[in-house]
Amino acid sequence: MNITRINAVAYKEWREIVRDRLFFTLAFVVPAALTLLFGYGLSLDVEHIPLAIIDYDHSALSREYAHRFSDSRYFDLKGYAASEREAGALLTAGTVRAVLLIPEHFGQRLQSGRAAEVQTLIDGTFPFRAQTAKGYVTAINAAFSLGVLADYLAQARGLSPADAQRALQTLRVEVRYLYNQSVKSVWSIAPKLLMAIMMMSPPFLTALGIVREKESGSIFNIYASTVSRGEFLIGKLLPYLAISSLNVLVLWALACFLFGAPFKGDPLFFFAAAVLYVGCTTGIGLLVSAAVRTQVAAMMGTMILTVVPAVLYSGILIPIPSLSAAASVIAHLLPGMYFADIVTGSFLKGVGLAELWPQVLALATYAAALYVAGYLLFRKRTAS
Amino acid sequence: MAAPALVSGPAAGNPATVVRARGFGKRYRGRNAVEGLDLEIHAGELFGLIGPDGAGKSSLIKSIAGVLRFEAGSLEVFGVPLLSDDACERIKDRIGFMPQGLGQNLYPELTVEENIDFFARLRLVPHSALAQRKAELLAITRLAPFTGRAMKHLSGGMKQKLGLVCTLIHEPRLVILDEPTTGVDPVSRRDFWLILGRLLRERNISALVSTAYMDEASSFHRVGLMFGGRLLAAGQPGEIRALAQGALVSVEAGAEVGQQAAALAQLRARFAQVDALGSAIRVFVDQGDDIQAADMVRQALPALPPQAVAAVEPELEDIFVALLRQRGLARPAQDRTSPPPARRQDADAPAIEAHELTRDFGAFRAADRVSFNVRGGQVFGLLGANGAGKSTVIKMLTGILQPSAGSGRVAGADMRSAGFAIKERIGYMSQAFSLYLDLTVEENVRLYGGIYGLDRAAIRSRLQWISEVAELKGYERERAARLPMGLRQRLALGCALVHQPRVLFLDEPTSGVDPIGRRAFWDMLFHLSRFDGVAILVTTHYMSEAEHCDRLALMYAGRVVAEDSPSGMKNALERDCGMLLEINAPEPQAALLALQRNGFAAAALFGNRIRIQSRQAEADSARLPELLRQAGQPGVTVVRRAPSMEDVFVQRVTALEAAELNARKTAR
Amino acid sequence: MKEPFSGQDWRLWLRRVGAMTRKELLQLLRDPVLLFVILYGFTADVYNAGSGVTLQLQHAAFAVHDLDRSAASRELAGRLLPPEFKPIGAITDARQGERLLDSGQALMVLSIPPQFGRDLAAGAPTAVQVQIDATNTALGFLAYSYTTQIFGQYAIEAGLRNQGLSPTALDSLARVDNRQRVWFNPNQDDGWFMSISELLNVITAFAILLPAAFMVREKERGTIEQLLVSPLTPFQVMAPKVLAMTLVIHIGILICLFGILEPVFHVPIKGSLTLFALVTTLYVVNLSGLGLFIATVTRNLAQAAMMGILVLAPMMFLSGIWTPPEAMPIVARALMYISPLYYYMNASYGILLKGAGLRTIAPSILGILLLGGAVCGFGLWRFRRQFD
Repeated sequence: MNITRINAVAYKEWREIVRDRLFFTLAFVVPAALTLLFGYGLSLDVEHIPLAIIDYDHSALSREYAHRFSDSRYFDLKGYAASEREAGALLTAGTVRAVLLIPEHFGQRLQSGRAAEVQTLIDGTFPFRAQTAKGYVTAINAAFSLGVLADYLAQARGLSPADAQRALQTLRVEVRYLYNQSVKSVWSIAPKLLMAIMMMSPPFLTALGIVREKESGSIFNIYASTVSRGEFLIGKLLPYLAISSLNVLVLWALACFLFGAPFKGDPLFFFAAAVLYVGCTTGIGLLVSAAVRTQVAAMMGTMILTVVPAVLYSGILIPIPSLSAAASVIAHLLPGMYFADIVTGSFLKGVGLAELWPQVLALATYAAALYVAGYLLFRKRTAS
Repeated sequence: MAAPALVSGPAAGNPATVVRARGFGKRYRGRNAVEGLDLEIHAGELFGLIGPDGAGKSSLIKSIAGVLRFEAGSLEVFGVPLLSDDACERIKDRIGFMPQGLGQNLYPELTVEENIDFFARLRLVPHSALAQRKAELLAITRLAPFTGRAMKHLSGGMKQKLGLVCTLIHEPRLVILDEPTTGVDPVSRRDFWLILGRLLRERNISALVSTAYMDEASSFHRVGLMFGGRLLAAGQPGEIRALAQGALVSVEAGAEVGQQAAALAQLRARFAQVDALGSAIRVFVDQGDDIQAADMVRQALPALPPQAVAAVEPELEDIFVALLRQRGLARPAQDRTSPPPARRQDADAPAIEAHELTRDFGAFRAADRVSFNVRGGQVFGLLGANGAGKSTVIKMLTGILQPSAGSGRVAGADMRSAGFAIKERIGYMSQAFSLYLDLTVEENVRLYGGIYGLDRAAIRSRLQWISEVAELKGYERERAARLPMGLRQRLALGCALVHQPRVLFLDEPTSGVDPIGRRAFWDMLFHLSRFDGVAILVTTHYMSEAEHCDRLALMYAGRVVAEDSPSGMKNALERDCGMLLEINAPEPQAALLALQRNGFAAAALFGNRIRIQSRQAEADSARLPELLRQAGQPGVTVVRRAPSMEDVFVQRVTALEAAELNARKTAR
Repeated sequence: MKEPFSGQDWRLWLRRVGAMTRKELLQLLRDPVLLFVILYGFTADVYNAGSGVTLQLQHAAFAVHDLDRSAASRELAGRLLPPEFKPIGAITDARQGERLLDSGQALMVLSIPPQFGRDLAAGAPTAVQVQIDATNTALGFLAYSYTTQIFGQYAIEAGLRNQGLSPTALDSLARVDNRQRVWFNPNQDDGWFMSISELLNVITAFAILLPAAFMVREKERGTIEQLLVSPLTPFQVMAPKVLAMTLVIHIGILICLFGILEPVFHVPIKGSLTLFALVTTLYVVNLSGLGLFIATVTRNLAQAAMMGILVLAPMMFLSGIWTPPEAMPIVARALMYISPLYYYMNASYGILLKGAGLRTIAPSILGILLLGGAVCGFGLWRFRRQFD
């Protein structure tokens, strides 16, 4: 290992990156821009679900029931529909995503102490949204139902309405949302974005950087010189590692200061782990570059290897426990999942190396394997 | 299949061997790229590898540089057998390697100085030595004023010189250059050889250089001729010339087109290697000396006056083709026995008229009042260095680019108002050949047929014609990518001719094509112009090709500075600058110095020969041997050489550059 | 170009465009890398997306910190059932629960106070504590929603029991029974949603990238020069590329619909395929303008692909597939309404899952037409300008 040669390669690479505007833009602006876009745009909160109501009853109770829905922030009343047909058309057109149908004699039945039946039609096109909507409907309905039942009980047993209510509600459920008290999805997403973007951008940069040299033929300078394989690879990867590490800082700052995500962990541990992770993803780029000859193939290769899994399997949109068995295996094979644990651990939970050492170990193993493979695949004499 | 390679023994006084190959072989996917190759390169030698594309030059060169694995035989560099990757590492400190492709090994975004510094640091050149070496090399290559310029903004010739500086910065003992002059204009090329020769001499470096330009052979001490993965021969340029039996005879068949064509047909019936060259015909006669050969040709053409036939000195390219033919490695050029019916209804009508064509790009004037005329049936050559404005002119005439001023008519239509009418009547072929390489021969022809609106029947008949004329029979279902360069080039020409255009534009149509392919190509062009009356405008960097043209225009800095026939241009050169004398001395180095000291400051060394220009050729030829003998250099011979088109080009352009420089100085 | 079209001209026009289209398709067939990527996109990629993911609460691990150890507390914990929940055992101190949550082994910890059973039986107020890991908001919410629902039901039953009423009497008491019916995807099968959304994404990606790739390839290989000197108009150069891309995408859709969506995910294709094909044609032809624009500003394939990703990523994320526009901040919502994919997505789900007809999706088609037309016009304008 000779520092001068590593330096020479690293410095040359750095100058090239700095002079190539498109590359430079890609390296710094894109990760930040993507974070901003997704951080602001990717809200998984399901609120303001467009709702239509069919009220065949027109009683005071039915109106009260309907108001419970239209007054909540979970539903936006788009209007009353006259018939199921009309409501069905609205649902099909996507104008509303839920329809509340209150049948005739609704108020009458309740007042006479009988159970009344209502229907909610929910658009299942987006299953997650449908699930959430069902949850809201159940909760609102339960609250209303409880009131009705309490009223009825009060009448039947001669209790005061408040006592009746209390009798039915002896059990209180105290919910504590840990790590993310107000359940703001931007909090939970911003740190994971850091993980996902650092999964996509370093391999792209690295693979393109090395393959560009292969495609243009300047790699022969390296082949024909006395620089060793290790020196070349270290020198070549250093600038990309530096850029990506810098990006980690930028994205971290965006998450903390712009999105207000709390950072509870140890910054030193977090950045050390982040550099290790960036090393892993840079290594993926190295491996791809060893396997292909053209920039186009490098693009396609890294895209299939990193972008799709980064979005689907890394727990950003979909929690890992919700993955199917096969997908879960794929998720475990990629470094993103381990770093996701480290990110959420550091940001939201405030845990450190003591809890996260298995993940750190996994990343370290991953990085080592990638670099050894990259080193072995890179030959200074080619076969063709 | 080939006769055993003829390899001359090591020259006296050069005992140390730098490179030794024994039975060397390289295979790609089961196909032999090189086989059974034996070669030795001696210390201090400038060894040239010459051969067409795909001859195996690059494979050999890369293997010697230790960047390519090989399968058969042995390679020793500096006495180190290249058996493994690790063994290769042991020679790399003494080697400088420049891969193929102009400026491809440099970093476009970095400046000249940053490029050099990168190579220096990679090679651990100490700081103290670097400054001095850099200054020296930059001075020799005249790159010193441009150290801060990004490499991508350099001209082709400058890129090439920068590549050389970067390759030499760690003072290697052996430099290996893979086709360093491809794509560079003749002036820069000649400059490159002079600089390389000087550096090698001063530093006692050995060099292995490959080239596809046959005419560069005279720059080398020794030459290896490669073909089809084998070394056909190796030796000094003079020895190689002597390898092919026979002599070259030039025939002036007469000014009438019919006369030349008739003579060509008659000669092809008798001789194997007959080519039209502009208005002349060149015949390679396999037996006898110059006089006998000329007599044999005269006998074949009894109608011609005897003085129309004369023996001339063959170019290495003629020798190469003859050698291949004599050894049964190449087919002789076919005679197109059935020339298509003459279609010369308006043959002499002007086909291209450029009048004061001007094009500005911002403040830069790429073409400056360019005027010329091309008649139907004429082959017109546009010469000039990189960036002289040739492509701009072609782009304006083909309607890709709007002229800023001036006018022109192409194929009878005004280029400003009738763009689409012109586009339907012209054919165009660029240096990239513009073929769809992933389509087959037939699919390419059908595509262009469709683009020009031919119906099925017309396309079928054109396909027939193209595969016949371009000798593509049997290749119809082959993908263009799998064709050898020569065939690919003729297919591209066929596609450009699919709609029977009256005017044909060829922009550097022969880069990368081997001499045999090039000959077949020009044969096709000859027929097109002579029998079909097609007007052809061609640009080229191969000065030997300029000889094929009926008329030439030389461009410099956007202007046409000379327009004449090739022989007219050569005559003008001899008239203006004197005769070209070539001096063969046993010790060329010392002789050169002696000449330079004795008033021949412009004397220059080409390989082992010295060249000077003389206004009193007769007197100088007589007095030079004596003069050199007195200077301690006996045994010198002097011959008069006819100038080549390259000499014309280099001389003219160099003079113009000097004049421009002077004008700028006086203006300051 | 100015001369009027006669029949002869039409034949010439068709011959030219036909020859060029044939060429584009032949070139595509001979490019194994590109073919592989296209096939991968329409099959494996859609399959991965559809099969790999489910957004439902499944096997959410929870631990019980039971300080009461009564029949009531056991029954309460026992109400959290698979497949939504998965008990991972009892714990004895609060720290242990925190560790389980920290390490991600448990999503939820249920703490039942001492004397829970007695309080409940006496009708005295009592409270259980549920700690939920909310790092994943969506999952946390679902866990919360189910738990409160189940426990609420339990509390009512207990209350009724205290009042001397049997829980089975609930059905005859005054209360509202809200029957929920989920339309279009009754089982909320994520595979349906994910596979269709991925198909739409793939269509979008290829509609932009393929014409750009075809165009840039001509630039890179220098063949564009030959086309420039030929009598082809810019439109005749461009249209075949768009035609070829449209054909390829339709074949890809057929493969995906009948090779993946129907047999593997059992997606019911309710609407008219002809209508879907028409809407898709409209969409991809319009979107190709974006690809051609990319081709005019880039010099090589790698750059074009980078630009493509830069354009595609926001388009996909702002399509409404992942995030409902109603819940978005105003700026993002505005951006969504100018993404052609948003309208195409609405129309496609409408046709494929809901069986919507032309009338129903007319507004979406209008959106595609207006936005896509603008994009396409811009691309064509840039492309023509490049020719001059």
